[in-house]
Amino acid sequence: MHQNRPRLGFFYCACLGLFAAIPSGCKRADPAPNAPIPQILRISQRNEPADLDPARASLPDELFIIRALSEGLVAPSPDNAPPSPAAAERWEISPDGLTYTFHLRRNAHWSNGEPVTAADFLESYRRVLTPATAAPKAPLLYMVKNARAFASGELRDFSAVGFHAPNPYTFVVRLEHSSPRFLAYAASGPWIPVNVRTVARFDRTWTRPDHYVGNGAFTLVEWQPHQRIVVRKNPAYHGAARIRLAEIQFLAFDNGDAEERAFRAGQLDVTMAVPHTKLDSYRREHPAELHRAPLAETRYLTFNTTRPPLDDVRVRRALSLAIDRDQLVQRVLQGGQAPAFRLVPAALRAPGDSAAHLGSAFRADPATARELLAAAGFPGGRGFPRLELTSWTVGAPLTEVIQAMWKKELGIDVALVTREARVHVAALREGHYDIGFITAIPDVADPANLLDDFTTGSPGNYPHWSDARYDALVAQAARTPDSTLQSGYQREAEARLLEAAPLAPLYFNATNWLMRPAVRGWHPDALWTRFYPDVYLHED
Amino acid sequence: MLRFIARRLLETIPVLFIIVTATFFMIRFVPGGPFTAEKAVTPEVMRNLERAYNLDKPLWRQYAGYLGKVVFHGDLGPSFKYPNRTVNEIIADKLPVSLELGAWAMLIALGLGLPLGIIAAIKRNTFMDYLCSAFGMIGICVPTFVLGPLLALSLGIYLHLFNVSGWYGPTDRILPGVTLGFVYAAYVMRLTRGGMLEVLNQDFIRTARAKGASEFRVIFRHAIRGGLLPVVSFLGPAIAGILTGSFVIETIFQIPGLGREFVNSAFNRDYTLVLGTVILYATLLIGLNLVVDVVQVWLNPKLKFE
Repeated sequence: MHQNRPRLGFFYCACLGLFAAIPSGCKRADPAPNAPIPQILRISQRNEPADLDPARASLPDELFIIRALSEGLVAPSPDNAPPSPAAAERWEISPDGLTYTFHLRRNAHWSNGEPVTAADFLESYRRVLTPATAAPKAPLLYMVKNARAFASGELRDFSAVGFHAPNPYTFVVRLEHSSPRFLAYAASGPWIPVNVRTVARFDRTWTRPDHYVGNGAFTLVEWQPHQRIVVRKNPAYHGAARIRLAEIQFLAFDNGDAEERAFRAGQLDVTMAVPHTKLDSYRREHPAELHRAPLAETRYLTFNTTRPPLDDVRVRRALSLAIDRDQLVQRVLQGGQAPAFRLVPAALRAPGDSAAHLGSAFRADPATARELLAAAGFPGGRGFPRLELTSWTVGAPLTEVIQAMWKKELGIDVALVTREARVHVAALREGHYDIGFITAIPDVADPANLLDDFTTGSPGNYPHWSDARYDALVAQAARTPDSTLQSGYQREAEARLLEAAPLAPLYFNATNWLMRPAVRGWHPDALWTRFYPDVYLHED
Repeated sequence: MLRFIARRLLETIPVLFIIVTATFFMIRFVPGGPFTAEKAVTPEVMRNLERAYNLDKPLWRQYAGYLGKVVFHGDLGPSFKYPNRTVNEIIADKLPVSLELGAWAMLIALGLGLPLGIIAAIKRNTFMDYLCSAFGMIGICVPTFVLGPLLALSLGIYLHLFNVSGWYGPTDRILPGVTLGFVYAAYVMRLTRGGMLEVLNQDFIRTARAKGASEFRVIFRHAIRGGLLPVVSFLGPAIAGILTGSFVIETIFQIPGLGREFVNSAFNRDYTLVLGTVILYATLLIGLNLVVDVVQVWLNPKLKFE
């Protein structure tokens, strides 16, 4: 054994030599000049999909990929237009607005060659609503007759649920109440069908590349978790002629700086975000690569209305009025966000509803704020208890500015607390907080999806606020078939919510991303929907 | 020696049991669950989810069920976050990546640290020593999250030699390997230098020199065995640290390793994945410490088993 020792030195030298030799031999290959640009789009995927099963998806990030692989009866359209035909080429609505008859395409096939039939949709929706499937977004089907009862286990007989497949190419949906927004729901994630035979055969592993069967424009060819997901054009897709991309690679990133470096190194065509610190330099030096679009996301402060002094509407209004939202957006956030004076973002509002604020506005009004606080028993902030303003990790610069505004305008001190995301949400849910910073992201383009959260006892009612009139207005809106009347009720409910101020809307979020100029036909969407059919790469 | 190893392995069992139990209950008592999201799910959906994942049973029954599966079947259960994969599959998928990254880093750490440390010790208080010691100091002071992006920027973005992220081809191993190995190389260098200096001052070295042994023979035959002792005791925890602590490197270079799964599983409240990775890392640490103890006795005549 001892005789071997001297050789170690040679071994080390050999290792060093090896390392010195590696870099010289591995230059990246440059594409051949004048070759046609390959239609391979490389998009950053910031959240690893938990699964690619439409029934189990709960995040837009999962639908980024699922929507490339499969399509529902109808699909969302770019620019907030009404949903467009997808697996169904047309549909009829009964005069009472309760029955939708979808006519499926006869040339639609699954990626394994089987035809897409009405029975597939029926079985897919049975699967979504079956309690054992535990589909997190099953409530997006509750508009359908008896769907809620079946999903909560009260009803066992699926034939009583409003889904019917009278023949292979006709699919009928019967609703609980007529709703002008139904098609937006029908275009949402859990309405995307699955090939039930594949699911039955492979159970939980059916979403792996070697098992996956979809009915969409692309097929799944590779899924390396936390690395990349590759989908390739499906030549058997009924609309294949207008799909120009040959392949999409979803490259995993969970860090904004790493993502930006990959973009700069030419490894990425589209990023998900831009690091805040890099916004300025891209704006100055590469404006053609920096893109920005509004989101249907409202970030707000929730007041715990069960705790004094926040149970007093005057205190809540005072806190809200003392915040200068324009300053927050222009000085702190600087990423194209819009100040929010109401809950419902522009993308969800009814066509005639363009008002930036409703009823009593939240424009910065420190004088009124001071009066309200004095009327509530805290003149000049004297005697006001030291409350906590909690947020999760993204809140830091913003909450500090709000803290300073309250100190300056109202003379009150709040303590800032930052919690891990799920700890924060759990605390809001349990009511273990004073004032919390949180976000509201709707699943579909319907104000009801946001307003429902603030009805009495709703799990998303973080202020733990209750108002019978508000509940009645929201319920009435849900039962109203006429779209003008419905949005009228919704606006009234929203105005009432703002008046009682269990929450203080702060801003409507926006997205900033980097995209190579070669990428054409990209439609940003306020609800994070991706539209791949129009996208292609073009080199000038 | 075999008795020593057998006894140590037996001691491992209660240690692992305590670790599993403590982790199981600690992660359950953390606020927020696997299905907590800012968009709250409705009560009936929450009930369905809890039933589907067996979270509706009493905690002690969940614990007993989990322990039974782990002990008797080696089954770490399905992941809460990734329903189409089991924890066993995730570990089988990610551990080789972390091992490979760790192996490259170790190779660099030893390949760079040992020779530099030996040279520094032999050429004590010369320019060569200062150069090597400066390397050691810089390596310890520059954190990986500075070195990594710097290397990516210079060699990846400006010189186009490497990809700045990903784990696809052989060349993608170089930047993360160097970044992770650099810090450890600095430690290895300093420990080697210190250990060698101590040994070189001892009587038996003077005797060897007096008997006319060549300098090469003195260093590599007589001194190195004692001089490497501090490095060996450092290597056990260091290898475990490289495997578990590569979270930062994996994030900077977007490497699909186990370090990120380990950290993110806690954020995701992926109970089974948290437990699975904790069990794995605990076993690794215990195992590596045992190996270090054995090697140390073998290298150091002053130590004996027992």
